Amino acid sequence: MSKIAYFNLPDVGEGLTEAEIVSWKVKPGDTVTVNQVIVEIETAKSLVELPCPFAGVISELMAAEGDTVEVGKPIISATVADDAVGATVAQAETAAAVHQAVADVAASSAAAEERTPNLVGYGVADPNGPVRRKRAATPVSTNTSAITAIPAAAAAAGHLAVPTHPDTQVLAKPPIRKLAADLGVDLGKVTPTGLNGDITREDVMGMAQQASVFRNLSTPAAPTAREERIPVKGVRKAIANAMVSSAFTAPHVSIFVDVDATRTMEYVKRLKASTDFAGTKVTPLLIMAKAMMWAVRRNPMVNATFTAEEIIVHNFVNFGIAAATPRGLIVPNIKDADKMSMLELAQAIEQLAATAREGKTTPADMKDGTITITNIGVFGVDTGTPILNPGEVAIVALGSLRPKPWVVNNEIQVRQVTTIGATFDHRVVDGDVASRFVQDVASVIEEPALLLD
Amino acid sequence: MGNFVEMPIAKAINAGLRKALSEDSKVLIFGQDVAQLGGVFRVTEGIHAEFGDSRIFNSPIAESGIVGTAIGLAMRGYRPVAEIQFEGFIFPAFDQITTQLAKMQNRSEGHHPMPVVIRVPFGGGIGAVEHHSESPEAYFAHTPGLRVVSPSNPNDAYWMIQQAIRSTDPVLFFEPKRRYWQKGQVNLDTPPQDLHSARVLREGTDVTIATYGPMVHTSLQAAEVAATEGVSIEVIDLRSISPIDFPTIIESVKKTGRLITVSEAPNSFSIASELSARITEECFYHLQAPVLRVGGFDIPYPAAKLEEVYLPDADRILEAVDRSRAY
Amino acid sequence: MVQLLSPEGDFSVPKQYAEYGKYIERLNEDDFLKFYRDMARCRRFDNEATALQRQGQLGLWIPAIGQEAAQIGSGYGVGKNDHIFPSYREHGVAITHGIELMSILKMLRGVNHGGWNPEETRFHLYAIVLGSQVLHATGYAMGVKFDGKVATAIKDENLAVITYFGDGATAEGDVSEALLFAANTQSPLVFFCQNNQWAISSPTTSQTRVPLYERGAGFGVPGIRIDGNDVLASYAVTAKHMDDAREGAGPSLIEALTYRIGAHTTSDDPTKYRTDEEVAYWTARDPLKRFEIFLRRQGISDDFFDEVAEAGEKLAAEIREATFALKTPEIEDMFKHVYSEPHPVIDEQLDWLKRYEASFGGEN
Repeated sequence: MSKIAYFNLPDVGEGLTEAEIVSWKVKPGDTVTVNQVIVEIETAKSLVELPCPFAGVISELMAAEGDTVEVGKPIISATVADDAVGATVAQAETAAAVHQAVADVAASSAAAEERTPNLVGYGVADPNGPVRRKRAATPVSTNTSAITAIPAAAAAAGHLAVPTHPDTQVLAKPPIRKLAADLGVDLGKVTPTGLNGDITREDVMGMAQQASVFRNLSTPAAPTAREERIPVKGVRKAIANAMVSSAFTAPHVSIFVDVDATRTMEYVKRLKASTDFAGTKVTPLLIMAKAMMWAVRRNPMVNATFTAEEIIVHNFVNFGIAAATPRGLIVPNIKDADKMSMLELAQAIEQLAATAREGKTTPADMKDGTITITNIGVFGVDTGTPILNPGEVAIVALGSLRPKPWVVNNEIQVRQVTTIGATFDHRVVDGDVASRFVQDVASVIEEPALLLD
Repeated sequence: MGNFVEMPIAKAINAGLRKALSEDSKVLIFGQDVAQLGGVFRVTEGIHAEFGDSRIFNSPIAESGIVGTAIGLAMRGYRPVAEIQFEGFIFPAFDQITTQLAKMQNRSEGHHPMPVVIRVPFGGGIGAVEHHSESPEAYFAHTPGLRVVSPSNPNDAYWMIQQAIRSTDPVLFFEPKRRYWQKGQVNLDTPPQDLHSARVLREGTDVTIATYGPMVHTSLQAAEVAATEGVSIEVIDLRSISPIDFPTIIESVKKTGRLITVSEAPNSFSIASELSARITEECFYHLQAPVLRVGGFDIPYPAAKLEEVYLPDADRILEAVDRSRAY
Repeated sequence: MVQLLSPEGDFSVPKQYAEYGKYIERLNEDDFLKFYRDMARCRRFDNEATALQRQGQLGLWIPAIGQEAAQIGSGYGVGKNDHIFPSYREHGVAITHGIELMSILKMLRGVNHGGWNPEETRFHLYAIVLGSQVLHATGYAMGVKFDGKVATAIKDENLAVITYFGDGATAEGDVSEALLFAANTQSPLVFFCQNNQWAISSPTTSQTRVPLYERGAGFGVPGIRIDGNDVLASYAVTAKHMDDAREGAGPSLIEALTYRIGAHTTSDDPTKYRTDEEVAYWTARDPLKRFEIFLRRQGISDDFFDEVAEAGEKLAAEIREATFALKTPEIEDMFKHVYSEPHPVIDEQLDWLKRYEASFGGEN
């Protein structure tokens, strides 16, 4: 029995890539013995005679004198005994199949595991271009320290085992630490959801608080006395009277709309990063204020006062912000807020909050408000039905901003979503006006660029 | 329990060598001027008088020959402890160290263990002329097959030289020459220990310093100053430059979140760079600041009048501490 | 120059070399036949290895053609305890000490860096860095002296060391330093320089202004030149010098003048730097040829030479088959013996590589 054997051009000089066929010493039909010189080639280094690796009968000279052949390509084929040792061997086939086999040998060398490189020099680059071996598992950890050695199960699952930390350090990549620092988020209070037990960008964003004029309160200890009696006087009495007079005089109606506030959050972030706003607190409340004032221009009836004889529509906005103080709820307002630039408004809001915290808000600050916002989102509350500030016909509640599933371009995505709630005096504001106003505010929150109008 | 004696590093190494010579008759010491003179730093003082020509002898001024014959002696079953007089003169032996000594075990598939120790004084700060103040440890740490260590204090010097001699692998033993005369307590009964373990010399919580050799003393000084400023620095003495005891450093960095490396060698392409790369990989989620390297400049070691400016001191270390904490 | 067998095959011992003649007198016919067989074996092996390289089975081959007498002769002059530190062309010496020829081919194929046991065979691994082994040999000989295994009454326990290097290597500083150390310590070491007259493309005249056998004089190492193509002189001179070293005579140098008939390696092209005439001149002084003439004059018949030729073909076929059957080493092999004691980096990286290799082969 016999088979066809091929002799591939070897690298004869430690790193050569090709050689020229100078002269053939045999022809098809010749019987050859092992080591018989069959061809003389010229390489970059020298003229070399090649000895035949097998004994047999020459079938084909696969390159002509003068041809330059790449290392690794077959140059001669011969019929040899079945048990002949040497070079690349394939089954005897028809001529066409043989040539295809030769072409396949060259082409398959990239993918086949048993590609035998020529020794020193490894022949030429694969003509099909570089290929990548198929990976089964996810990337192998570069983590080679014994301390965080990967348990076999976790490695098979495709991610690193969560290292245990006897220490109190939080885990976060450097960019995430910076983000948290910029947003004023305490990493120690964030729940990590990363695969390595680390805090992710989303974790930080989720915790990022809006502008808070309120201090976080902690759970007090349980009181020992059975009851506490607080006299109703001073500010508390005034608040109570105002609430009663408002709630039971004006017919309150509340409407709500959920809105995708992601763009507002991005806008807030950009403002924070801008040099103009350096040192000034920028929060979603600022954008809400601007949105409300824009919506007021389009729906003036919400910025009015009801008296028995007439409805006074104000052509200015004294923008009230409900503030919780140790002494109770107050609503100072920013006079002529509609005439302020974004920066001035931001500064005015900051000032108002500081003053309220210090307990220095004056009665004048609290008079003549025309529309109010109450920020209940800082308490983690989604929305509510606020009570109108006496003398006003609209109040808007800003709820919490949370990542929620939302439909964007027909796909579910995670967006920052908030509920805008508003209460109106139905004597002055009809349903359609109320709805349009709320919708306008929501539109700006969804697309702050509308403010450019 | 221990048998404590106060002595400087030079004497501690001397004591360690004597103990090794007494315990193993195959240990040989040789190099230029090590016999009657006791070495130019007197590290081998008195050993020739006690042990004679058959155990300690002078070599010709031929560093390649010193290391090459050490290899042959090791093949013959001896445990050669060769001395290179100054680190600046190790380079004629560089070929024998890197192509022969480092590879011999691998090449011979284990038939030729290489229990060779090459002792080399290194580092600056002694006001010397050219080639007597360098820190070439990175060239050897980068060569697979070699082990590289450096004791920073007399007690470590005492037991580490013995452990290096006991090793069947080739060991480069870099001795901090500016600290040769620094005294410390040596426990003459120290039992054999892991040659490649780092040691936390000073505990701290704010910043980790990883250092070795002559800079250990300087780093401890910097840590003391920092403490007066309310900054708590943890100082780790690597002791072993290759392999580095990473678990000890990792544990520290996970606690402090900040690492500074201190060495006399130029920073670029150095041991410091290896620490930086590896710790960044292993402690990425714990790092509050990038790893900072305090080292020499990328210039030939300067003339003596400028060496105090070149060498890191407590101020240079503290500047890096400040920078790290500012992140 | 010590020559006992002329290129024409005439054997005679000049008076001043009588002591070497004594070593030949102690040989018998079997010894002579052994010399010839091994030279022929070396030649056939060498030619087959060149063919295998030209067929892409070896990355490189380093021919020793023309140097068989110097190597076989000196190899048999080495004592039964003596150690040998070769460079990388001493295939003939390897044959005299029972090194498996496939071991040498494995190295050239890239399976390992040598692989044979230097302690058992006393034939140390090939050294690629020129002259590096000469210092190792010197250190080894120093150790032998420290062991007290020189010039003792128990002849059987004495040992000496021989190291081989070429004319080109004598330029390396390590060789000079070795001569110095050996002379200083009077260690039992024979420096055997095979002057095959070419260091790749540089002739010996560019490596030395003074005959190489005089190189050692400056260091205190006496030297002698021999005809390296005379297997009898190679044997006798080496045997005597090894005996002298074992008896405490200190180091000596032998320069074996021979010729590198082949190329430096299979990557080399000697036609670029030497003449065909020169090669022809030295081919006529072929060590096998002259010894065959000598043997035939002793009455050795065709039968012997035919048998040797046949053995050569058989050897070649075995070598071919064994070479084609060589397997790629395991990944683990390259991490073995980097250190003899445990090392964390080795463990970590081998572990990583295994996991990396195991991560391939999935569906995309």
